Amino acid sequence: MTTSGTGRGSKHDPDPGMPREGTGWAVVSYLIGGMVLYGGIGWLIGRWTHIDALFPIGLLLGIGLSLALVIFRFTRFTRP
Amino acid sequence: MSDLGVVMTASGCHFQSHPSCGYPAPGIENFYFKPIFTIGGFEFTKPILLMVLAAVIVLLVFWLAFRKPKMVPRGIQNIGEMGVLLVRDQILRPQLGSRGDRYLPFLVSLFFFIWLMNLWELIPVAQFPATSKFAFPVALTLIVWVTYIVIGIRHQGPLGYFKNMAVPPGAPWWILPLLAPIELLSNILVRPFTLAIRLFANMLSGHLLLLVFSVASWYLFSATIGLLFAAVSFVVFLLVFVLEVLITLLQAFIFATLTAFYISDALIPAH
Repeated sequence: MTTSGTGRGSKHDPDPGMPREGTGWAVVSYLIGGMVLYGGIGWLIGRWTHIDALFPIGLLLGIGLSLALVIFRFTRFTRP
Repeated sequence: MSDLGVVMTASGCHFQSHPSCGYPAPGIENFYFKPIFTIGGFEFTKPILLMVLAAVIVLLVFWLAFRKPKMVPRGIQNIGEMGVLLVRDQILRPQLGSRGDRYLPFLVSLFFFIWLMNLWELIPVAQFPATSKFAFPVALTLIVWVTYIVIGIRHQGPLGYFKNMAVPPGAPWWILPLLAPIELLSNILVRPFTLAIRLFANMLSGHLLLLVFSVASWYLFSATIGLLFAAVSFVVFLLVFVLEVLITLLQAFIFATLTAFYISDALIPAH
């Protein structure tokens, strides 16, 4: 019952960066977020400049960036 | 195929209950109900009734269980303690550790309320999962969303929490401007959106599957070879039913687990 006080990370608490049950869903939400954001930006600019290819390019960029995000966020904790 | 066609034409109308005598395919219209009664324009429908019943049952069970708690639990207190311990040890502790125990009542009520609302799908007479009406998952998700954002702001301060939500830990600085929007969008919008959709879509599809196969086994039932088709359909119905027993539990579990995960993200900065 260590709910009061400063409440920042005692040693018995799970490491917030470690993969837990929610991690898989977090990865999914990053992938969706990346696609929606950069796909959306690509789509908007493509509409504006009449270059249709910008939408798929944005989607791919979004997937790539969210993969990078997943790697940065969830792999560093496996190193000693 | 021709066999099936013959059976269909031979026995399609044997119940004479459907005006067109075709297969009454279940669809989205099965998710809309005539109001039981109306108060000032507010239509009280079956899903609302099921939701109220679920809330009352959860309240009643836990009130009875912990009305006069004893050191050595007896009767319904055993069930109550099992439920609370299940949520604490399987959902809350793995995500939050012992510091999360103050959120135990929230998670226990969330888990059992959702489970019961899902479970109505499998209970005769009720046989409709209240959570397959999108408004219920949305309302529950809004509660969770507001909860974890308020917790985050209270524990990390508005700026600190915003930084924690926008800046992914572990990423080099030069790529941050590209990654921060994804992190922010995923934390603020995608999380609650997927949380609501997951519960809603799973329960909707489950109910639809049960409808398709139960209606099919009724429709194909006849004294001819159609009996075989009806039997196959009924077996599939039973299999789907067993699957749904699992899914009702699983979806409530996932919803509560993710809620605990989001609360832990708001409680403890990820770096």
